[in-house]
Amino acid sequence: MRYGGDNRGRLLIIVLLVTSLFLITLDLRGVQVIDGLRTGTQTALTPVQKIGSWVVSPFRNFISDVTHLGRTQNQMEKLRAENDKLRLALQNRETADAQLKQLKGVLNLAGTAGYKVVNAKVISQGSSTSFTQTITIDAGTTSGIHTNMTVLSGYGLVGVVKYAYANSALVQLASDPAFKIGARIAGTQQIGILSGQGTRKGVLQLLDNTTQVRKGDALLARGSQNGRPFVPGVPIGEVTSVDNSPGAVTQTADVKFYSNFSTLGIVAVVVSGSSADPRDALVPPKPRPTPLPTVTIYATPGAVEPSSTSTPSPKTK
Amino acid sequence: MSLRRFFFSFPIFFTVFLLQEAFVTQMRLPAGGINLLLVVALIWAALSTPEIGALTGFGAGLMMDVSQTSPGPMGHWTLVLIVACYAIAFLGYGDDNIRGNPINIVFLTTIGVVAAQTVFLILGMMLGQEIGSVKQVLLVLAGSAFWTAIISPLILKVVSYFHAIIFGERSHI
Repeated sequence: MRYGGDNRGRLLIIVLLVTSLFLITLDLRGVQVIDGLRTGTQTALTPVQKIGSWVVSPFRNFISDVTHLGRTQNQMEKLRAENDKLRLALQNRETADAQLKQLKGVLNLAGTAGYKVVNAKVISQGSSTSFTQTITIDAGTTSGIHTNMTVLSGYGLVGVVKYAYANSALVQLASDPAFKIGARIAGTQQIGILSGQGTRKGVLQLLDNTTQVRKGDALLARGSQNGRPFVPGVPIGEVTSVDNSPGAVTQTADVKFYSNFSTLGIVAVVVSGSSADPRDALVPPKPRPTPLPTVTIYATPGAVEPSSTSTPSPKTK
Repeated sequence: MSLRRFFFSFPIFFTVFLLQEAFVTQMRLPAGGINLLLVVALIWAALSTPEIGALTGFGAGLMMDVSQTSPGPMGHWTLVLIVACYAIAFLGYGDDNIRGNPINIVFLTTIGVVAAQTVFLILGMMLGQEIGSVKQVLLVLAGSAFWTAIISPLILKVVSYFHAIIFGERSHI
């Protein structure tokens, strides 16, 4: 027997569909009740998510231990947190150094170095089945975090605070398809717009088509007015490939983000930017090739033992 | 009668919603992971009449919409799930070949999850949302299909048990 439906059933379907369309319209028109509903749900869910994070962590650690074979997650988390802290300290130091250079150059310029940050732990990662890239952190308005604040990891830009609640905040990751940031290339100062693509790779669209961008160029945040949503000078990523199609209206390049969004544990929210733009001071140094020692062996026919000398050289013979 | 019984299913869906928000999202499963609420709603709909299926979609969609990870406006998931759950319930209603066979329900649910996400995506695009790279979208859709096909046989018996408690033994697999 197939279902034929009756008037009551049809009316119910129509009522439900109209209700959902009504909700969409209300939300798109910015009705406060709808926002309040989501805020209230998140506020109520935060403690449950914290418990969930604690409960699930052994399972997550087990999976990670199996994946990494021999390296325990605890050690890795500890080292990662320590590494992030050290990198953040180094970033602050570089900002301070950059500001010191400006002070030496321009005598009437004064400023204090360093971003003022609030560290936070990632308590939840948004489901990407909704085609978004978000994380929830365990610090909120009570810690001084508000919407449109820059979020960093030890490697560079992570994203921006989208919603802030009392004890938690939702961070839109830089990899989110809806994420856009004004970026400049370190050194050449070319500017463009970087968009997330749902992966660790972003796409940079340069505003000036006549300029040249090269593979390996570092990208930094241009910064926003009053440092919100983005403080200037934050390292974003590195150009991995350039699309130089002739006749293209704008030049585009693929960018790999410095931050690995799938391994985020501790992040820092910039609650107050530096008083001066650190410019390119935060560009991570490129790895230098280590000189390999070259061993030259002179073999003399008839000699008892071959003599050998060891000299450092940048090339291997 | 059925409507009154439907409201008894709210605690079940609320529990699944809590599980999804507090635990499933924490596991960081590869390829986008799974949306447990979506899977449970579709299985529930497959076991129900079309009216109850549409109501289930409405309730589950509202819950998914109030989740902070939902990118669209309120009502986005609701609209998609009303249609998806109604369609699944309509396909299965009165056909014991579908409803009586767990493999068919798993298959229907897997197709339903992918279809619902695709409709969600298209509707999102129409509402001006960014969807990211095609590669990533395909990965998430394939990941969802994979995880649904893995998880739904495991939870089918439990969902069917609770459905039978609320709506009677006829829907029990």
